[in-house]
Amino acid sequence: MNRRQLLSTMGGGFGMLGLQSLLGAEGATADPLAPKTPHFPAKAKRVVYLFLNGGPSQVDTFDPKPALTKYHGKPMPTANLQTERKTGNLMKSPFEFRRYGKSGIEVSEIFPKLGSMIDECCVIRSMYTERPNHEPSLLLLNSGDKLPGRPSMGSWVTYGLGTMNRNLPGYVVLCPGLPVIGPQLWSSMFLPAVHQGTYISLEEKDPKKLIRNIRNETQTPQQQRAELDLLASLNRHQLARTGTDSQMEASIHSAEIAYRMQTEAPEAFDITKEPQKVRDRYGDHDFGRGCLMARRLLERGVRMVQVYFGNFQPWDNHDDIELHRPLAAQADGSIASLLQDLKASGMLEETVVIIGGEFGRTPAVEIGGLVKVQNGRDHNNHGFSYLVAGGGFKGGITYGSTDDFGFQAVENKVHIHDLHATVLHQLGLDHTKLTYFYSGRNYRLTDVAGEVVKDIIA
Amino acid sequence: MVLRILVPLILCLTALLPAADTREQFEMQVRPLLAKNCFACHQQSAMGGLRLDSRETILKGGKSGPAAVAGEPEKSLLIGAVSHTLERLKMPPSGKLSADDVAILSAWIKGGLYWPADDKAAKAAAAGEYVISPEQRAFWSFQPVKAPVPPAVKNTAWPKTEIDKFVLARLEREGLHPIAAADRRTLLRRATLDLTGLPPTPEEADAFLRDKAPDAFAKVVDRLLASPRYGERWGRYWLDVARYSDDSLNSTKDEPYPNSFRYRNWVINAFNEDMPYDTFVKAQLAGDEMGDKYAAGTGFYSLSPEFQDDRVDATSRGFLGLTVACATCHNHKFDPIPTKDFYSLQGVFSSTDLNELPLASKEVVDSWTAKKKLVDHQEKLIEKFYENQRDQLADILASRTAQYLLATRNLASAAELDAESLQRMTAYLSEAKKDHPYLKPWVALVESKASEEEFRRAAAEFQKLLLAVMEEKKEVDHKNELTLGLNPNRDDVAGASLVSLSRDKYILWRDMFERSVKDSAGFFKTSEGIFHYNKNGIERFLQGHWKSYLETQKVDLERLKKELPEKYPFLQTIKDKDKPEDVHIAIRGDANNKGDLAPRRFLAILSPGERKPFSKGSGRMELAEAIADPKNPLTARVFVNRVWQRHFGRGIVGTPSNFGQLGERPTHPELLDYLADTFVKNGWSIKKLHREMMLSATYQLSPAGDTVNENKDAPNTLLWRYNRRRLDAEALRDSVLFVSGKLQTKVEDLAKPLDEKNTARTVYGFVSRRRLDGTLALFDFPNPNSTSEGRIITNVPLQRLYWMNSKFIEEQAQALAERLHGDNAARIREAYRLLLARDPDAEELKMGLEYVPKASWASYARALLSSNEFEFVD
Repeated sequence: MNRRQLLSTMGGGFGMLGLQSLLGAEGATADPLAPKTPHFPAKAKRVVYLFLNGGPSQVDTFDPKPALTKYHGKPMPTANLQTERKTGNLMKSPFEFRRYGKSGIEVSEIFPKLGSMIDECCVIRSMYTERPNHEPSLLLLNSGDKLPGRPSMGSWVTYGLGTMNRNLPGYVVLCPGLPVIGPQLWSSMFLPAVHQGTYISLEEKDPKKLIRNIRNETQTPQQQRAELDLLASLNRHQLARTGTDSQMEASIHSAEIAYRMQTEAPEAFDITKEPQKVRDRYGDHDFGRGCLMARRLLERGVRMVQVYFGNFQPWDNHDDIELHRPLAAQADGSIASLLQDLKASGMLEETVVIIGGEFGRTPAVEIGGLVKVQNGRDHNNHGFSYLVAGGGFKGGITYGSTDDFGFQAVENKVHIHDLHATVLHQLGLDHTKLTYFYSGRNYRLTDVAGEVVKDIIA
Repeated sequence: MVLRILVPLILCLTALLPAADTREQFEMQVRPLLAKNCFACHQQSAMGGLRLDSRETILKGGKSGPAAVAGEPEKSLLIGAVSHTLERLKMPPSGKLSADDVAILSAWIKGGLYWPADDKAAKAAAAGEYVISPEQRAFWSFQPVKAPVPPAVKNTAWPKTEIDKFVLARLEREGLHPIAAADRRTLLRRATLDLTGLPPTPEEADAFLRDKAPDAFAKVVDRLLASPRYGERWGRYWLDVARYSDDSLNSTKDEPYPNSFRYRNWVINAFNEDMPYDTFVKAQLAGDEMGDKYAAGTGFYSLSPEFQDDRVDATSRGFLGLTVACATCHNHKFDPIPTKDFYSLQGVFSSTDLNELPLASKEVVDSWTAKKKLVDHQEKLIEKFYENQRDQLADILASRTAQYLLATRNLASAAELDAESLQRMTAYLSEAKKDHPYLKPWVALVESKASEEEFRRAAAEFQKLLLAVMEEKKEVDHKNELTLGLNPNRDDVAGASLVSLSRDKYILWRDMFERSVKDSAGFFKTSEGIFHYNKNGIERFLQGHWKSYLETQKVDLERLKKELPEKYPFLQTIKDKDKPEDVHIAIRGDANNKGDLAPRRFLAILSPGERKPFSKGSGRMELAEAIADPKNPLTARVFVNRVWQRHFGRGIVGTPSNFGQLGERPTHPELLDYLADTFVKNGWSIKKLHREMMLSATYQLSPAGDTVNENKDAPNTLLWRYNRRRLDAEALRDSVLFVSGKLQTKVEDLAKPLDEKNTARTVYGFVSRRRLDGTLALFDFPNPNSTSEGRIITNVPLQRLYWMNSKFIEEQAQALAERLHGDNAARIREAYRLLLARDPDAEELKMGLEYVPKASWASYARALLSSNEFEFVD
């Protein structure tokens, strides 16, 4: 131990000196969540993905089809593509569509509040994927592959960009209960485990219990500070003996961040800190609380937040499409409030807001499957709608279209790979370059496909 | 600007000049260009259905049509694709070809796409055959393992073993030098943590430091290898490869399989008794054919996740370091593995079923099965009884609907009605919103204060309607039953044209007769239909014989349940199907798009000479023998590399599960061969392998820095020092429990959650695919959904929160504090000796002495447990 070594460690200079030497060790990485420079200047810094799990019907929400009303009760004149279950004749939407905003985009009457924010949204009416079943579709939308085993979109985002606030997790998933197949949807799979989504059950109301080990049950803050000071002294004393070592330095650094997290993290999750008026606006239900919590997390620098609408798959209305009305009654105010607040604070410009489910629904009534009443729609992966707002996406436009009945995307089709590519692009990431070498090859979120949809970004 | 246009033009012109020798030009320009830019995907792999390695296949083209039209480059997709002028077809994906490369291809197409007539590879390509080229065969990892002679070294004093000569020769060649050896305490701590996952005790440290014999360290290694703790450590490493878990991704409960631990313990035991590695491999593939001792080994497969390519993936990466699953959709793009080979192996596993192998006598099994059948039967009987009663009760109550309605207006006597049903009816009528129109007339009467007569008429009509809806519902159900037949499966149901009530009628029926989830003003709540009763409700109506019948049946069920013992233990194994079958290639991975049948047989690249299809059952045993064959160039190399990786922090091949083209090349190829060769000659003994590695001077190096070496080889690839590492999840938790004195060193069976109460070794904890333990995940435990080749070590704040605030650490710190005795200085010394096998230095002692009076011993203990020196191995 010479004087120079001593100085370099005692001075708190956690330099890069040791970084190289630890690369030789078993894949060691000191802080994989440190902020990273994107591939090119980014339009957006963060993402919030509001997932209406179960599969909301496009023809009853964002894709009006007069022909469907006209041909109600008649067989579909065009070919009926394969969906999960047998369907019968065409069924009109029980809901009216109205024009909203300056753009005059038509939105179903069940989303009046979101309708009032439609000038902020790019309404993509030509989404499609390859699978009509929940599990593969959920995986496709979240990880870009229909089979399990790929990292989720949020994991890719934190892998590509790191996090902006080390006192909070970089990627948070909020859900009342669990969506179908659950944790796989936010798994980091082969990416380093720190990129795993931090799942927070919205059923837990005590913000202090939301993050493991976030508070000390036995010590006062002063006692804990003193203990951490002792720990830091012991660690520095050892470093002086061994020489610089970036892993051990990272551990010292992490302890300081962890200390600060204890106060910041519970506060971020605590929506009781919001005025009652605001909480009422979001709605006193799981999804409303989730959206409000998402806003607080985004404000504090969390990179990606995903809010699932509900436990299991609430939007899966095989039986009765009328049930979209009460579902929308909950979703409408929560989504609109989040958009309004982000807009008011100016954050919307740098936040990509994605709204949609794992697929849409058939324009024809479902007659297969033991439904109790034939007033619902089957899954439909051939064409469905997504809304994207903020983060440099063009607001107040519609993009692409489905056929006359809203069954199949026909014009300007957007595959989920394309949407992933476009969202990454807005974050300053080239989806073909954001790769991870695993099991003999480079993997990426968009598999081997995906094109940035230039027409929907400013 | 002008220049930029001119240059390609000139090149273009040159390319267009008539060639002196067409063949030479093809071989010098065209073929290399295609090979470099296109063959990775458009040779054997035929991505997009296109092969570019023969004239014929180019003209035939792929999914997008012919790749070229002879003589017409401007009409050829190939030219548009490589110059990126086509909208949806831009190739190669890495970027467009330079203008002169495009010109070469254009000229070649214009000239008619010359291809040498005697090109054997092209002929095979045109015929769609898969040919392994001599270059592919020559790849290092497919060469037989040699028995290299250790090289000569200049510094003859340093090497302790043959390993050291290989390492030193390389260091000397690169102008590097091994640094000093680690001190003896450091070495003891390293070896103990390495082999057992626990730190040495103070007594062990004292004994070793006292032992001046030249073989003192060898004795330590032997002692550690003989410890049962060794198998718990190294067995766990294998379980990483085996993607071992106690449950499945699809399970719905937080409970382990009751018998999964038998595979885990079998692995631990195999390491402890030094089962030869070739036997170990064979037992996992085909232990069910090798006798009782080995059957549990097939847990490698019986506990595997149910992904379609998992078994081939885990087999090929785990045992062979080959990524065969990359060939699921197309021929492997880099290694000589055709898609057909993937399906050849897939066929072996799809000819295999899961099997429960009882660990009890036939009598016990038969008796349990018979008793279980009785319990199931009795449960069904009772269930059926409730169902029937529920339907009858609904009929009975509904037949008096009018009375219930009238009673809500005091127009009928409540005394003759069921009070609860009446209460429900009253509540229902007072609800503001109903989703069906049938009670609108009634509500209108209420509002208009109508006469009794009108109420009576309306009530009678509603009852009539309700009974008709009930009848219709029964007809609908009956029709659907006829359509579906008995025991329809999910697909039958999904594909059938079924019927239903209209929406309004259904809502009415639901509100009266079903327990359902209803929307109430945007919130979903479970509600009970007015005439729908659960089991308790039904029992309220039962009397006389009905009541005593149900009670008797229930008593019988309880008795039968009591008589049913806990299920006998069994092994989760696999067995061959009665009729093993080859599977078809799924073209582009799509099971609906069937290609050739792939005979069950071993991989082409690892089969010298003519390949014979497997003929015994599924072929698992033949596959096992082919993998465990001493002549297999991969099996021993891959395994010794795994062991090396865990001892040295990095494999000789840095990608332990990928020895193919995209894997790393060995840093010390001869050393790898030496180790593999010796390993096989030593009867595949893993313990001898550890000994060989650990007794080397290389293993015993210090982790200290060295400026000269760092400048040349900062990542320490060439092993001039020891790689310092943070302990992994298991070693951290076990070490904490060990020094607090709380560790239970008993062999555990059924996996238990790793909560505060659990003080067993971490290897015995519940490993869940569905919901991996939070602490394991926090400390980088591998995802048990796929085979893992090594741990990524992260260092993040959430980990520090665990040390600062978790109840587990709190309790262990408390326990450690209680272990310390004597005055303050003595306690501090004891803590250091327990945790670090050394005494504190003066500064450390001073820090402790100053801290403790102001805080508590538990707090001091936690600081030591949280310290880097405890969490890292030097």
